[in-house]
Amino acid sequence: MDKGMGDRGATTMMDRRQLLRSAAWMSGAIATGVGSWLIRPKWASAAGPIKVGIATDLTGAIGYAGNANANVAKMVVKDINNAGGILGRPLELFIEDTASNESIAVANVRKLIQRDKVDVVLGGITSSMRNAIKDVIVTRGKTLYIYPQLYEGRECTPYIFCTGPTPAQQCDEFIPWLMKNGGKRFALPSANYVWPHVLNEYARKIIEKGGGEVIFEEYYPLDQVEYSATVNKIMSNNVDVVFNTVIPPGVGPFFKQLSEAGFGKRGGRLACVYYDENTLNINAPYEIEGLASCLDYFRAMTKDDPVSAKIQAEYDKEFPGKILFAAGSAATGMYRGLKLWEVAVKEAGKLDRNAVAAALDHAKIADGPGGPAEIVPGKRHCKMKMYTAVAKNGNYEIVARSEGLVDPKEC
Amino acid sequence: MESALNAIFEVLSFGAIIVLVVLGLGIIASMMGIFNFAHGEFVLLGAYITYLVYHLGLPVWAGMLAAPIGVAACGFVLERLVIRRFYAAPIVAMLGTYAMGLAIREGVRVLIGGLYISIPEPIVGSLVIGGVHLAKWRLAIIVITILVMVGSYLLLTRTSFGLRVRAALENPALARASGISTSAMYAVTFTFGAALAGLAGALVVPVFSLFADLGIRFLIQGFLAVMLGGIGTFEGPVAGGAVIGVMSAALPWAVAPVLADVLVFVIAIAFVKFRPGDLIAGRRV
Repeated sequence: MDKGMGDRGATTMMDRRQLLRSAAWMSGAIATGVGSWLIRPKWASAAGPIKVGIATDLTGAIGYAGNANANVAKMVVKDINNAGGILGRPLELFIEDTASNESIAVANVRKLIQRDKVDVVLGGITSSMRNAIKDVIVTRGKTLYIYPQLYEGRECTPYIFCTGPTPAQQCDEFIPWLMKNGGKRFALPSANYVWPHVLNEYARKIIEKGGGEVIFEEYYPLDQVEYSATVNKIMSNNVDVVFNTVIPPGVGPFFKQLSEAGFGKRGGRLACVYYDENTLNINAPYEIEGLASCLDYFRAMTKDDPVSAKIQAEYDKEFPGKILFAAGSAATGMYRGLKLWEVAVKEAGKLDRNAVAAALDHAKIADGPGGPAEIVPGKRHCKMKMYTAVAKNGNYEIVARSEGLVDPKEC
Repeated sequence: MESALNAIFEVLSFGAIIVLVVLGLGIIASMMGIFNFAHGEFVLLGAYITYLVYHLGLPVWAGMLAAPIGVAACGFVLERLVIRRFYAAPIVAMLGTYAMGLAIREGVRVLIGGLYISIPEPIVGSLVIGGVHLAKWRLAIIVITILVMVGSYLLLTRTSFGLRVRAALENPALARASGISTSAMYAVTFTFGAALAGLAGALVVPVFSLFADLGIRFLIQGFLAVMLGGIGTFEGPVAGGAVIGVMSAALPWAVAPVLADVLVFVIAIAFVKFRPGDLIAGRRV
């Protein structure tokens, strides 16, 4: 045995086991960050300002969405202050970073409640974030909470109001449209977490009610980036519609592989209900040509809806750059939430939680992104108009609009 | 039959991607004894440089040429400033490289606004051979991976430069006594590893699109590959990478994808447990 080859003597080389052992605790290393911002109004009143708390993901994986939420809040609060505030008092904006990380979020949201004593909290984007912070805000914090993102529904906790679309709003009109403009054989490839599971349950009901068929419903790890097996299943089973709930980073490679396999060329229809202007850039336009989405707002509607055009123009003027005003990342829900809350506080005439919640229960706004919105009494969810859009050469084109306001069918 | 051929091609191409990513990581781990936790971010940096060059209006392939050079330069600077202080303490080096990686990742996240950006392939389309779709760019990745792998192997085993690199690892004191500057050798090796990461990032970014967390997934798979293959050889981590890549792409064809993800780890760990030596037994490079 030649000892010299294997013997490393006094070098600093580690063997594999040592490497393993020492690396094990490394994996526990978590990045932490602290961020709070306070935006004071330009004027004051004797009664002091009304405090609005925003808890959103300014940093981390979904920072692009969180920053859009914060921007919308700044814009709406500024508008309200310029118009004389609410009840003669200006709004003071407290923005807290939830950092796409639930444990950091809970500590930061506690600051909003305990240190800043805000009158209302808006924010949270993912369902896991909402679940992490809702107890801090509503139960222990005794504060009103408005959740702005499209989600799987079933959030029926008192004092939580949801202003984003629910599965019923995203499926009831969209899936029949897909059957007419795609076919009846559906595949439901999905990321393995709560939203796709619950949404698919609802979507399957609508598909089967309309005479369609679910060829397969399959769940993937959240960070899976290789989808050849799935693509093969879709192609060999002659699936007509891929109703996708795979999320980034997997969705880009998945759509690319589907396109390479010729799914679009043979007339297949891609559908994805969180797809907005942000996600449009994940793939080259030809890879997702014909992708259909159903949301409460698309930038494409600014052409024929003056209210949406005005809101979009104001946002673009104040926040030019990469952070977009888009429905899939809760920006429209944030706008709607703040405006509905403004209406409710004005009606209640005070900031007491019960009084505001009672007024919010039937609050309505005539002018929002995508059209009017109103809370369904007793349901704490929002009726709104829904739009179906199709990606054409890198932009959306609106192809269908709901007749009136669509019911969220929750709680 | 068609579907089987398709499967083999897709599995091979993902295997090639992982090998490409692991190559630089394996060389740094094997030739320097440092596990580079910033490797995933070097891959990301390569992808980002490709995007930058493309964004300037130059063709994508120009970005792919610039990426290894840019990342190599960055790797060289980091080696001189940070890594060289840690050769005596590999565990601290892990922390140090982790911190560097975090800084690069969050920096890139700010620069691209946390978004996902699509980058086109230099070669678009697929070859259709008897009903089997072979994406041209994936085919190109397989070819380039083989070339780079063979090139790196020859460089390390058949040139006097490779001999000096290995000498600096095997017995630094004797190497120094023989007139080899080990410090320079380490710097060059690290730079080389960084360049390979940059190249990997540039080549895979059209497949996965550019986003800040591009490197993390590869870091975990790369780490698993190096563990499986064993450090100290050139072939070990490469073979480990091939096994991990092929397993992660092939298992979802057979079992539920969520289960497949876990199975890759279970199989790899079981393997390490029962065969604590290298994947490929035998002499070191």
